[in-house]
Amino acid sequence: MNRLRRFFRTPEAIAGANTLALLIVMALAAPLLFPGDPQAIAGPALLPPFQDWSLPLGTDRLGRDVLAELFHGARTSLAVGLAAAAAALLIGAVVGTLAGFAGGLIDEALMRITDAFQTVPSFLLALAFVSIVGPSLGVVVAAIALGAWTGPARVARAEVLSIRERDYVAGARVIGMQPMEIAFREVLPNALPPVLALSSVIVAAAILTEAALSFLGLGDPNRVTWGGMIAEGRAVLRTAPFLSIVPGIALVLTVLGVYLAGEGVVESSAVRRSLS
Amino acid sequence: MSELTISRRGLLAGSALLLASTALPTIGRTQAPKRGGRLIVAADSEPRNLNPAIVASNGVFFISSKIVETLAEASFDGKDGLEPRLALSWQGATDGLSVTFKLRDGVKWHDGKPFTSADVAFSALSIWKPLQNLGRTVFKDLEAVDTPDELTAVFKFAKPTPFQLIRNALPALSSVVPKHVYEVGKIEENPANNAPVGTGPFKFAEYKAGQYYRLSKNDAYWGKDEPYLDEIVYQVLPDRTSAAAGLEAEEIQLAAFSAVPLADLGRIAKVPGLKVITKGYEGLTYQLVVEINHRRKELADLKVRQAIAHAIDKDFVVKTIFLGYAATATGPVPKNDPQFYTADVPTYPFDVAKANALLDEAGYKRADDGKRFALKLLPAPYFNETKQFGDYLRQALAAIGIDAEIVNNDSAAHIKAVYTDHAFDLAVGPPVFRGDPAISTTILVQSGIPDGVPFSNQGGYKNPDLDALIAKASETLDTTARTELYKQFQKKVAADLPLINVAEWSFISVARDTVGNIANNPRWAVSNWADTYLES
Repeated sequence: MNRLRRFFRTPEAIAGANTLALLIVMALAAPLLFPGDPQAIAGPALLPPFQDWSLPLGTDRLGRDVLAELFHGARTSLAVGLAAAAAALLIGAVVGTLAGFAGGLIDEALMRITDAFQTVPSFLLALAFVSIVGPSLGVVVAAIALGAWTGPARVARAEVLSIRERDYVAGARVIGMQPMEIAFREVLPNALPPVLALSSVIVAAAILTEAALSFLGLGDPNRVTWGGMIAEGRAVLRTAPFLSIVPGIALVLTVLGVYLAGEGVVESSAVRRSLS
Repeated sequence: MSELTISRRGLLAGSALLLASTALPTIGRTQAPKRGGRLIVAADSEPRNLNPAIVASNGVFFISSKIVETLAEASFDGKDGLEPRLALSWQGATDGLSVTFKLRDGVKWHDGKPFTSADVAFSALSIWKPLQNLGRTVFKDLEAVDTPDELTAVFKFAKPTPFQLIRNALPALSSVVPKHVYEVGKIEENPANNAPVGTGPFKFAEYKAGQYYRLSKNDAYWGKDEPYLDEIVYQVLPDRTSAAAGLEAEEIQLAAFSAVPLADLGRIAKVPGLKVITKGYEGLTYQLVVEINHRRKELADLKVRQAIAHAIDKDFVVKTIFLGYAATATGPVPKNDPQFYTADVPTYPFDVAKANALLDEAGYKRADDGKRFALKLLPAPYFNETKQFGDYLRQALAAIGIDAEIVNNDSAAHIKAVYTDHAFDLAVGPPVFRGDPAISTTILVQSGIPDGVPFSNQGGYKNPDLDALIAKASETLDTTARTELYKQFQKKVAADLPLINVAEWSFISVARDTVGNIANNPRWAVSNWADTYLES
């Protein structure tokens, strides 16, 4: 409870957490508030916002309800952001732990692979991956995770390197635990907190990457995404700028919210560390 | 880019001229075209092969039709809708076995050599017939081209070939290239494919990849006083939104082929100094078509195809996707075609209830989740409108319980998926109607076309009646009888729905007020622009 109180001490964290909570509520409420297909044609095309209260944010070029698209887009953005971050953290933690714990050749090999991935710009990697495999939600998640796991891997390895010399690890060896068991049951859980601290940055980057892919037409075309909405509105940027601005604002707020909340978590745990 | 910057002297001269023009009484302003000037045009693609004799497509014509000329060009008021270019007259024999062209005298290639009937014979036999995407069908029975003298070319056909078809094919299919440049080496690899040599009003000057193409005036052009312009520069602007901004900033003077998005036209039309022109594309009608894979058992059922046709609100498509700059389609020949179109075909008015009833009748009842069956929908990526129609069609199909999953591909992957791998159930395509159904329309429904031929029947549709009708029309010489056969063809296609024609559209040009003689023929954007001029 103490930790939660510390978390809510900074205004940034409060703002971030609120934005994030709002986003989660939006994502969860989308199918209740806007049942059916959000891409269904709901009214006249290119209706400006605040004209018709049944379509408060207006309609796009085909007459689809922008507000419904915004809510359902929140689902996609969050789903992709969280799934990609989870995948990246998982791969990163496993690779980092193996490399750090095993050492020697395995360490060298795994770290050189990490280097190879790190030298390729992650967005280009995602772009190439999606255009070869074909756009769908799963592929987009995999593509983003592919470029994001290197950071967690390096952090995990560094932590593991220091932990594996601790007494309790030596103790575990003495009582005859298998090396793999030691690595994943004793070492990894203790190496995890600094790795998890990266998650907010990864989620924020994943949401942005997903939006950028959709903007370039490489998102899943059967789902509403904010990036796709911006791209769709770009053709009429001069006549109906709200079509790009509305999802753009949502995107900015989300990334900002995720980032601020993440900062709050890091700060509160830093305070705890310095106290203990 | 240095040659594109405005020189100080040029600016001074220009402003002096402007001052003078305001000082002059308006009566002094005649319609006589001014000479000189550089026309800067927006280009949205960069074709690698610029040889229009091999690649007969509008993207190539847009640039190379100014350099390489055809035997005849389309015309609003010429006989049979044609006006002479390199040929002065054309006459078909009554047996359909030969066509005689009388050629223009005193025409020179850009490298100074004279243009003769040998060039026409070479182009026809070595390029149009074996290599050209469209010529392969139209000139398939061309056996020889006799050249009794330097200015006469006689096309000899092995089988009777309708003169009407040859005539209709002239504007797009008859680009003449120089024999002396192409006779050495492999034609496909000739360097002139990237830097064409022709007889046209403009010479190819340079190409900077990703930046611009520059064409310069041909001083030895055969047209009297033509061309008026000194230069044409095609500024490569792959981003569609930048063309409108470029026009407003006076960086470009012309954006053809709807480079300015339709949604922007309402605003652009009000900008002083710019004009929106909807004419000049009458001979280049694109058709919005739903291509159907008849290998899918559900889609092989006529009732299902009829249901899909009834589910599409064509008026909505024209009004919302094309913003009114299109017409609803009734069949495979567009309404604006003066020779072949008939409205007397089965039609499919928008009727969701009827579509649902047809699907129930066909035995595809809705499951508990309201869906009857699922299919893959591949919208062609070439136009904003084809992609948008894909989104619309998905919704229209959802209303009748068909769950369509959209698959987006880039151009190359789309062509491979649809026309080679047949990995689609429905596709949205934009075929072009080129003035005669036999040029590029009948192959959309004809059976027996090898895999991999783009923009042809790759849906596995086979209808012996229709095939027989197409074969009969291709050898009917009498114009009236041939036209009548194509009217039957339209009826049969509309009745059996091998594909669904939704709309027909053309393009819009936006130009600065200073550009003169725009849109004065039905294929203006891809004609030679010899008489185009700039006022200041």
